[in-house]
Amino acid sequence: MAESNGKLREISRRTALGALGAGIVGATVASWPRLTGMDIPGRGDNSLSIAILGTAADAAARQRVIDAFAKVHPDIKVKVQAIQAADWKDFFTKILTMVAAGTPPDVVYVATEGAQLFAEKLAHPLDEYLRRDAADMKEYFADVHPSLVEAFMYKGSLFQLPIDWNAANIYYNTSALQQAGLERPADNWTQVDFRNTLAAMRKAKPQDFTPYYWTNRLFGGVVPWLYANDTSFLKESKSTGGEWLWDSFYAQDPSRALRSGGYQWLEPNADDPRVYESFDYLRGLVKDGLGVRPEEGGGNSLVGLFASNRIGMTPAGGYWVEGLHEAGMKEDGFDVQFFPRWRTQRHQFGTAGYAIMKTAKDKDAAWEWLKFASSLEAMRLVFPTPNTTPARRSMVNEQLYAGRGPKHWKVFYDTLDKFPTTGPIPAPPQQAAVETALMKNVSLAVSGDENQLKQALASMQRDLEIALRRQA
Amino acid sequence: MSTRRRNGAATSETGGRQRQRWLPWAFLAPTILGMGLFTLVPIVASVVLAFFRWDIISAPSFVGFDNFAEVVQDPTVRVSFLNTILFVVVAVALQLGLALALAIMVQEKLPAWLRVFFRSAFFFPLILSAASVSIFMRYLFNEQFGVVNWLLSFVGVPAVPWLTTPAGSAAVVILVYVWQNFGFSFLLFIGGLASIPTETYEAASIDGATGWRKHLHVTLPLLSPTTLVASVMAIINALQVFDQPYVLTRGGPGDATRTAVMVIFESAFQRLEFGQASAIGVILTLIIMAITAAQFRLSKRFVFYQ
Repeated sequence: MAESNGKLREISRRTALGALGAGIVGATVASWPRLTGMDIPGRGDNSLSIAILGTAADAAARQRVIDAFAKVHPDIKVKVQAIQAADWKDFFTKILTMVAAGTPPDVVYVATEGAQLFAEKLAHPLDEYLRRDAADMKEYFADVHPSLVEAFMYKGSLFQLPIDWNAANIYYNTSALQQAGLERPADNWTQVDFRNTLAAMRKAKPQDFTPYYWTNRLFGGVVPWLYANDTSFLKESKSTGGEWLWDSFYAQDPSRALRSGGYQWLEPNADDPRVYESFDYLRGLVKDGLGVRPEEGGGNSLVGLFASNRIGMTPAGGYWVEGLHEAGMKEDGFDVQFFPRWRTQRHQFGTAGYAIMKTAKDKDAAWEWLKFASSLEAMRLVFPTPNTTPARRSMVNEQLYAGRGPKHWKVFYDTLDKFPTTGPIPAPPQQAAVETALMKNVSLAVSGDENQLKQALASMQRDLEIALRRQA
Repeated sequence: MSTRRRNGAATSETGGRQRQRWLPWAFLAPTILGMGLFTLVPIVASVVLAFFRWDIISAPSFVGFDNFAEVVQDPTVRVSFLNTILFVVVAVALQLGLALALAIMVQEKLPAWLRVFFRSAFFFPLILSAASVSIFMRYLFNEQFGVVNWLLSFVGVPAVPWLTTPAGSAAVVILVYVWQNFGFSFLLFIGGLASIPTETYEAASIDGATGWRKHLHVTLPLLSPTTLVASVMAIINALQVFDQPYVLTRGGPGDATRTAVMVIFESAFQRLEFGQASAIGVILTLIIMAITAAQFRLSKRFVFYQ
């Protein structure tokens, strides 16, 4: 009996272990696609895998474009992979992790912030394709401002075709302006006018209201003020080359002489007296309660605050229109104007477009996607609402802003047309380190006395030197 | 026949012993495998990587101790370590002090059902995602539109720039961290208090001890083993603080709230300097090991076992 019980115990233990083993094997088999990454879109088949910054819903929204592409290129299968990230820096990090893991996408949607990093290390130049399909591409370039294209030039080669972009314009609350007894600011208003406007707003609405709200980041933070004052925190220069593109597509453009082989940011410039002057101006706004001390991070919460009439003015791009509309702001509740003039009225912008990875399985197919994605047909499908500014001038029209505002929507594209020297976000291949160096010193620079400002700029200069010395 | 039986018995016995020998290992195998793959291998890889320059994309190149030399000279790294140490000192002191005070209060003064409520309530923040909590706190502590300043305005306090000044941001980071983490120490102390025999308090009362004296001379000494465990865990956790300062302030303003782990993250995943990030990680690990060893060494003087 005891022996029998022992056997029973032995059998049940064996059975249990067997079941456990079978369970492990079963679970491993079931999760094999996940473990090996085979369930990543585009892996395991010949699909062209495209990575974009966004959610699964954003990927699904691209489906109409994919369907339209399939009609033109039934032989090329496309899969869009949306990667959720807090910001572009975070997105690029995730792409790099995919590269390290041996599962890079074929095509990546890259913004100005990462354009040079990708051009330097990861992306394939488009020059040969553009030369080959020059006839097809003439219509695209005729509709896209050369400043946007130049932002994607790197050492004489073009790496991306701009699809959407945004400049740092000034959004203002129309009722706050009226309460202050002011008219719409003039197109060529100055930094002095800007300050006076803030002071009038403050006087008219002293309670629970912030005349100027800005966040501490690379786009729309301190940089537009530096650009307006004809300076920057990095010394800007341009590389040679690129004539092949400008002569082919922009030979007749009035700004042809300004164009180059791409921007370069090789040295820090935080010790420039104009940088001090710009920071001191912002410090004055903060000190006098006209502007906030900038918080680090994005401006998502800002849309709600602006829509509830608690903010007078803030710098933002065309991407804000849809956000304000969804937040319930009436089309005449806000408007936009150019960034104020100082020594210049040069603006800051950021743009984005697809880049073909060096590791792409089929670069020809990837190019066909880029070409299609930049077509009027595809861009109309992607941008049915003004949640960004389309790179094509013809799409920035009355129809896009109907029922949403702002009244002066022309400001968006005029920023490029009227100020052809308007420049991209300063983003060398070491952008992440450069951005950290800038952001960490801005709030200290504008929140204390003159000594603190000097110390913060000295610290920024030192941090930028270290950042630029590092390999990208 | 008897020999065969003896051999058979011996064989069976040997087989049983063998089974007994491998069986524990079989059960331990998944854990050992997991630890090896996901803990030991990364630790070793990280130490090795500290001697290489590697940006994920290009092949790693051996640079000897260059990474260590560079990070030691980097003022941001130095400041971040100093911040971390200061953070540990303040946050751990607050965390343990608050946890102990509340544990004594809950254990002694409250009825059983309220005790259960407070145990859950104080532990609850710990199960929340630190990143979510920090995002929420960003809104609460916003200078212009935050609820905290709005509430303070009722008592005449002008708007405090919580997240945009070095002192304010450090205070908020510590506050949020302590609020979220003291529940764990609280539970440890509750357990420790429950294990102190009531006779000891009765004896102390007979000897004339009352109120604070009882806690000073009975509770604290008998709670010292729990305090040691709680402090070791609290210090190790606090030395690795990342989520709260990263989400609340991104390390700013300036470097005011930049911590050692933040610098590791920035070096590796933002600047793609995995060698330097590993070097900082190795230095931080050595510091944690040294502090923990010192704690255990000092514990011989201050910890009393019943």
